[in-house]
Amino acid sequence: MKIAVCIKRVADSETRVKIAADGKSLDEAGVKFIINPYDEFAVEEALRRKEQAGTGEVVVIACGSGAAQETIRTALAMGADRGVLLETSAIPVDGFTVARALAAELKDGGYDLILFGKMAIDDYNHQVGPMTAELLGLPCVTCVAHLELAQGKGTAEREVEGGMEEVEFPLPAVLTVDKGLNEPRYPALKGIMAAKKKPLEVKPATLGAPGLEVLAMTPPPERKEGRIVGEGASAIPALLKLLREEAKVL
Amino acid sequence: MSHVLAILEQRDGSLRKVSHEVVTGARRLADGLAGEVHALVCAAGPVSGVDAAGRHGADKVITATSAAFAQYAPEGFARAIVERAQAGSYGAVVCAASAQGKDLAPRLAARLGVPLAADITDLTVDGGTVVVTRPVYAGKALLKVKVTADPVVVSLRPNVFTPVERPKAGAAETIAASGDGGRVVVKGIKAAAAGALDVAEAPIVVSGGRGLKEPANFKLLEELAQAFGGRAAVGASRAVVDAGWRPHGDQVGQTGKTVSPSLYIAVGISGAIQHLAGMRTAKVIVAINKDKDAPIFKVADYGVVGDLFEIVPALTSEVRRLTS
Amino acid sequence: MIPSQYQPRLPLDRLILKRGAAGAGDSMELDVLFVGAGPAGLAGAIELARLARADPGLGELSIGVLEKAEALGEHSLSGAVVNPVALRALFPDLPETELPLRGRVEREAVYLLTSTGSVRLPTPPTMKNHGNFVASICEIVRWLGSQAEALGVNIFTGYPGAALLTDGDRVAGVRTAPTGLGRDGQPLPTYSAPNDITARVTALSEGTRGLLSQAWLEWQRVSSANPQIFALGVKEIWETKRPVDRVIHTLGWPLPSDAFGGSFCYPLTPNLVALGIVVGLDYRNAALDVHVLLQRLKGHPLFRVLLEGGEMVEWGAKTIPEGGYYALPQRRSGDGVVILGDAAGFVDVPSLKGIHYAMQSGIYAARAIVAALRAGDTSAAALAQYDHLVDDSSIARDLYRTRNMRLAFKDGFTTGGFRAGLMTLTGGRFPGGRIAMHADADAARHAGADGDFTPDGKLTFSKVDGVFKSGNTTRDTIPTHLVTGVEVPAEVARFYSHVCPAGVYEEVDGKLRINAPNCIDCKATDVLGPRWTPREGGSGPRYKRM
Repeated sequence: MKIAVCIKRVADSETRVKIAADGKSLDEAGVKFIINPYDEFAVEEALRRKEQAGTGEVVVIACGSGAAQETIRTALAMGADRGVLLETSAIPVDGFTVARALAAELKDGGYDLILFGKMAIDDYNHQVGPMTAELLGLPCVTCVAHLELAQGKGTAEREVEGGMEEVEFPLPAVLTVDKGLNEPRYPALKGIMAAKKKPLEVKPATLGAPGLEVLAMTPPPERKEGRIVGEGASAIPALLKLLREEAKVL
Repeated sequence: MSHVLAILEQRDGSLRKVSHEVVTGARRLADGLAGEVHALVCAAGPVSGVDAAGRHGADKVITATSAAFAQYAPEGFARAIVERAQAGSYGAVVCAASAQGKDLAPRLAARLGVPLAADITDLTVDGGTVVVTRPVYAGKALLKVKVTADPVVVSLRPNVFTPVERPKAGAAETIAASGDGGRVVVKGIKAAAAGALDVAEAPIVVSGGRGLKEPANFKLLEELAQAFGGRAAVGASRAVVDAGWRPHGDQVGQTGKTVSPSLYIAVGISGAIQHLAGMRTAKVIVAINKDKDAPIFKVADYGVVGDLFEIVPALTSEVRRLTS
Repeated sequence: MIPSQYQPRLPLDRLILKRGAAGAGDSMELDVLFVGAGPAGLAGAIELARLARADPGLGELSIGVLEKAEALGEHSLSGAVVNPVALRALFPDLPETELPLRGRVEREAVYLLTSTGSVRLPTPPTMKNHGNFVASICEIVRWLGSQAEALGVNIFTGYPGAALLTDGDRVAGVRTAPTGLGRDGQPLPTYSAPNDITARVTALSEGTRGLLSQAWLEWQRVSSANPQIFALGVKEIWETKRPVDRVIHTLGWPLPSDAFGGSFCYPLTPNLVALGIVVGLDYRNAALDVHVLLQRLKGHPLFRVLLEGGEMVEWGAKTIPEGGYYALPQRRSGDGVVILGDAAGFVDVPSLKGIHYAMQSGIYAARAIVAALRAGDTSAAALAQYDHLVDDSSIARDLYRTRNMRLAFKDGFTTGGFRAGLMTLTGGRFPGGRIAMHADADAARHAGADGDFTPDGKLTFSKVDGVFKSGNTTRDTIPTHLVTGVEVPAEVARFYSHVCPAGVYEEVDGKLRINAPNCIDCKATDVLGPRWTPREGGSGPRYKRM
């Protein structure tokens, strides 16, 4: 099995968001960057599929700054075979430009499976995977939480409102994966040592003109000051009246 | 002047509620662009409830039918919608950022060769320019984004664009979609197990903390949750989960689940930052605590100070009276 | 109440294992293994990698550094005002601007506080920071780590050293902690067995109150003239509205007069300020609570004006070895092993410095290790060269000069201040001899009132809020890693609840309750009560700019 996994370097979700001086982006001072957690599920799935097949290659591809090499090394330490960084000084807010750069890289790769995380925890864009699939003309299933592959065909389950959707698709395909698909491994000591020696190709990303432009980044509105309705059980009627009439949640 | 194509959702032949939000959002966009809203739903046959689209501002309601559309067909839907979008030279396409919309909208944008402004919570049109707001970094910041593409493709975060009555003609039209459903075939939906709601999904969450004194007293919260008639789940603070009183799956907070129900009732929870991180996006927060200085009262919309063992049963019986 | 009466012994049977003992998963062989990626271990690894490169006879050495934090620097916490001498020695060709330091100390002030007022004191000679730099140890460690990796050093983050592997009296390597155990200690589906890493030399650079260092010293019966003593520091980082233009130290309030310590306030940038309080763990009042003292301190007019309207962005705590010269182990080397930095106790309390000593000790260790490897002899006799190098260095000289200064304060601050003054004047010769010291756990405590403290969530915070701001996201279902005495009376449980800055211990209905995931590895109760053992890798705090 030849599998590509597209990953992203993102600010840790624990990050306290401080807006940079340009008023449009994250102030990166003191921010920890990690591999996008959903992409870890994708890397893990790729490794398991290769291990099951007994043969194949797992290629990790990222689009991002030079620092994303570290993120690729994390995936290599988990067990991926080689990495490709499409280098750009800043990842555009327009996911379509990223999809085009990735599609150009993936086009002639001969992959049986191309995996993405279902979304990145920084921009919540939820789109680069299926867009890449469309550009490559490949079938795509998003938010895969359960996966079975056999004889060139796959069955997946994805969470929808009120249940799990069961989906069938042919290979090769693009899948974006959800939490619950697997439990990602921690890089083994030997994997960490081996990752240093695995090939990592860095080349400039060819990004087209973006169609989205960030005007401003702002903090979310603060919650308005609450109030004490009263003391003891005697406050209950007043509370319910407020919930019904003012807050309108009942 | 350009028209807006609003992509509605149906399941099993019935219009899904989120479609009203899509029409409402599309109407706002169309008003700004001085155009019409054309609502489009892909289905195997007539869709019940689709006429409501006219009430919320659709000038035209189009049902694109195909035998392959009994279930969601990602590629078939995308083809039918893109064909229509191109044929009608629409200025914008609006989807919901629902499970289906998150899958469909990127496909539409890619096929149309334009970007997607996903999961937006606000939109404005100023002199023909569309500017959207979308939360990033788990809602810790908002991004204001100018969309310079033709057509503009956006998906709307559910539960944000409250449906507004804007009666328009809603002229019904049915078209036959060409081709099959595509390579990706949805076989069906396995319904989630009936019964217990997950705290992450329940519209009402009743959470308990150390103030409940012992595990058995969570019965009080379970009774309160039941009084809400199947719409509420019981959550817990980290302290009581660590103490083994409640399962980890019920934990609300930084290391547990992040919830944003419409009503969150915190009972006997002091309100450590790590707990607040998991529930501060709830629409309305009610706190019940005996300590009037507890930090939970600083984030609560409504607070009741006093003995929870007296207050909670009183609340339960009042809620029962209201809902019965 | 004497804390040591309730303190369990170090579980040596779990910490000293025979090489090849059952239970390991993978195993690996290295030439040299450092345990702990702090300034000592990383400086050692860098110097070692360079010396090996320069010596064709040695060939390429395989050098590894184990680190229990999930990422470099995340378990490192210090004040810190840094003497740049060791960084300059390690990177002589780099301009100062490229070293991982913030601003040069231009202005400094020392105040004696009362609850409402302050008196500016002349800066004691030992505390003068001319030529030193404000810095974040997290940033220093991350930077040193990238330098080490560029030299081919393998850094294994997320791997705590959990036991020494031994061959007779020889240290042969380290076993790491397993991951994926459930609350009951049974393996979960995510279980991953410990790894055995053997090495020709193991360098213990674990930092303050290092577990394996303690175990080795006890196992090999290596003693010191005085027992090691510790202080606990609790620190916050604030983004302030008002700029801070100087390094500030305070003495006095809110500490009681029978406790040794003080506060510090260092601007990393004018509007990013590190603020903390440090208290010797030989204090007498069982209700003393260092976290609460820091919260009180912020209400003092001197600090309130700086902090009000600002935001607390990080919180953390750590112990500091304060015993100085007389608490150094008689030897810091043995068969196949050396002990570096804080783990050995290389801290000079009067100048509040340890980072450059840690780095220097790493450099000396690297030199001794290279000589030993070259000679094909890594026995105790060969590695004793490390002790000789340290004993002949400014580390030993500086610590000797101030050998009794911290010890003078064991009877309280007033007499201590007077005696320390005389020591400075006499270059350490007063009063002659060695002031004998108890271990902190042997200092008797008297009952005290708990005092009123309600955090306001703006200027002052609860312990749980602090733990959140430490970035701690330890899995809630880990088994407890803290070893307590069998019977802990309510009074002692309450004492632990005050000792621990992270709210790990609580006294509930007369019993001790342990919230293990809160633990941020400060080691305070390891000094005074329940013993600390490692958890699965990546647990604990995630400090960014501490």
